[in-house]
Amino acid sequence: MMNQSILMADDDADDRFLVQAAFEDNNIPHHILFFEDGDQLLNHLSSTSGNGSPSFILLDLNMPKRDGREVLKVLKTDKQLRSIPIIIFSTSKAPDDVNTSYFLGANSYVVKPSSYEHLKDVIQKISDFWLNTAMIPS
Amino acid sequence: MNLSSLRLLNRSLDERQLTWAIRFLFGISIMLIIALSYSYHTINKELIFYSERVDHTQRVLITLEKVSSKLYETIYHGRTYLLLKDTANKRAILKSIDDLNPLLDQLDTLMESPPQDKRVQVLRTTLDNLYDRTNIYWTDSTVQLGEQEQQAMLREASGHIEQANRLIREITEVENKLMHTRMQSRDNYKQQVFRYNWVIMLVALVFLSSSFILLDRELKRNNLYRIELENKVENLNRSNNELEQFAYVASHDLQEPLRKIQSFSDRLLLKYSIKLENEAQLMLYKVNDSAQRMQLLINDLLSFSRLVKPGANVQRVDLNDVLEEAKYNLSETITTQKVIIKSSGLPVLKAYRVQMVQLFQNLLSNSIKYSRPDIVPYITISCKLVEGSEIPAIKPAHQDVQFYLIEFSDNGIGFNSEYAEKIFVIFQRLHARDEFEGTGIGLSICRRVISNHNGYIFAKGQEGKGANFYVYLPLQPFIS
Repeated sequence: MMNQSILMADDDADDRFLVQAAFEDNNIPHHILFFEDGDQLLNHLSSTSGNGSPSFILLDLNMPKRDGREVLKVLKTDKQLRSIPIIIFSTSKAPDDVNTSYFLGANSYVVKPSSYEHLKDVIQKISDFWLNTAMIPS
Repeated sequence: MNLSSLRLLNRSLDERQLTWAIRFLFGISIMLIIALSYSYHTINKELIFYSERVDHTQRVLITLEKVSSKLYETIYHGRTYLLLKDTANKRAILKSIDDLNPLLDQLDTLMESPPQDKRVQVLRTTLDNLYDRTNIYWTDSTVQLGEQEQQAMLREASGHIEQANRLIREITEVENKLMHTRMQSRDNYKQQVFRYNWVIMLVALVFLSSSFILLDRELKRNNLYRIELENKVENLNRSNNELEQFAYVASHDLQEPLRKIQSFSDRLLLKYSIKLENEAQLMLYKVNDSAQRMQLLINDLLSFSRLVKPGANVQRVDLNDVLEEAKYNLSETITTQKVIIKSSGLPVLKAYRVQMVQLFQNLLSNSIKYSRPDIVPYITISCKLVEGSEIPAIKPAHQDVQFYLIEFSDNGIGFNSEYAEKIFVIFQRLHARDEFEGTGIGLSICRRVISNHNGYIFAKGQEGKGANFYVYLPLQPFIS
C-alpha cells in the first residue's frame, strides 16, 4: 500500500507547487504525480492500467482542454477506474459545482484554502483520512 | 432619438398644464356644441311652428274659396229656379246650403284672431239671413207672388250677397297678409337653421381638432417616453447581467491571484522566518493582512451582488421567527456583550425569508458593534402601520399604500445625522478601521434587501445617544 501514488490534475503551476510543498511539510512519504490537464491524467491512467491504481486523485474543476467535470464523468463511467477515490479540489464555492461534482460521483469536495497554513492543514486531513483512516481498493 | 423628437420632449407646457388644456378644450367644445344644439333646436321649433302656421293659413284660404264658390252656386241655382221653376235647381240649392254649414264651422274653428272670428260670425248671420229670406222664394207658394214683391225680395238678397262677398274678401285679405308675414318668418328661420348648422360644425371642428392635435402630440411623446423607458430597461438588464458576470469573475478569477499572494507570503513566513529580518517579517504580515482584507471585500461584494437577483421565492414570513434566527446567528456576541433585545408586535408578511434574516442580523450586529463600551447594549424593535404618504421621499406610486414601519433603536454611540444617507452606501464607513472592523457592506445590504421588497429604509442618529433605523415594508406584497 505504501507504493501507491497520489495523482493531482491542476493547470495552475503555483497550486501544484504549493500542494507539493504541503505534502512535503506534512512529511507524507507518498509519491505524488502532477498533471497539467485532464487529458494528461487520463493518458497516464490508461497507460498504467493493471499496474495498480493510485490511492486517490486530487482533481481541479476549471482546467483548459478537458476540464475536471469531463474527467470526472469519464473516470466514473469507466469500469476499472471508477473505484479510484476522487477528491475535487477547486477554488469554486458555488453550490452548482459542488452538486454536479457529487452527482457525477466525486468522493469528496474540498475548496482550496486561501492561506498556506490552511492548505497544509487540509492536505494533512485529506491524507489522514484517505491514507490512514479509510480503506481504499488496492 | 433624432433632434425633432428631442424638441418634442422639451415641451413648453408641463404635463399637468397640458392635461388641463386638453380638458379645457374638450369641455368648452362640448359645452359649445350643447349650447348650439339647444339654440338650433329652438330655431328649428320656430321654423316648424311657422311652417305649420303657413299651412294653416293656406287651409283657411282654401276654405274661404270653397265658401265663396258654394255661395255663388246657391245664387246661380236660385236665379235659375226663379226663371225656369226646375226642381233640379231647387235640390241643388238645398244641397249647397247643406254643404255651406260645415264649411262655415270649419272656418270658425280655423280662425285665430278675435277680429277674424267676428267677421266669420257676421258672415254666418249674413248667410243665415240670406237663406232664411230667400228660402221663401223657392217654396212653391212664393213662386206665385207678384213681380214687385219678388223684385224686392231679390234686392234684399243682393244686399246680403254683397255683404257676404265683402266679408269674404276682408277675411281673405287679412289671411293673405298673415300668410305673407308667416312665410317671411319661415324663410328667415330656414336661413338661420342653415347658418347654425355651419357654425356648430365649424366650432366643433376647431375645438375638437385642436384638442386632437394636443392629444396626438401627447401620444407621440408618450411613445417616445416608452421607447426611452424600454431602452433604459434594456440597459438595466444588461448591467444586471454584467453584474452577475462580474460576480462570477470576482468569485473565481479575482480570488485566484489573491489566494496565491496569501499562500506564498504564508509559506515564506513559515519556511524562512528565521532567515528574515524583523522588518521583512512585518512587511510580509502587512502583505498578508491586505490580501485577507481584499478577500473580505470581494466576499462582501459577492454577497451584495447576489442580492441583485433574489433567487428564492416569496413566502409568508413571521418576523418574530426571523428575529429569533438572527439572534441565534449572533448568539455568541449577544451573550458576551450581554445585549438586551426587546421586540413587540412584529407582523407576518410575504417576503424573501433569507434576506429578511440577513436584514435583521445586519441591523442587530450593527447596533451591537457600535454600542458604547460603558453601558449594556439595549435594542428595541417595534412595529406599527403607517400610510405611504408619511414616508419621506416616497415614490408617487407608493403613496396610497400602507406600510409596516419597523423601528430599530439602540443606545449605542450613534452618529451625526449628516451621514444618515452615507452609511447606506457600499463600503462607506464613518470610523477608522482600527476603531471598528468591517468592510462597510452591512447597511448597504440592508438597503438592497429593502428595495428588493419595494420598501424604504432610513436612519437617524444622535452622537453619543444612539441610532434609529426605520424600515418600511409594504403591507400588501407587491413583489413581482
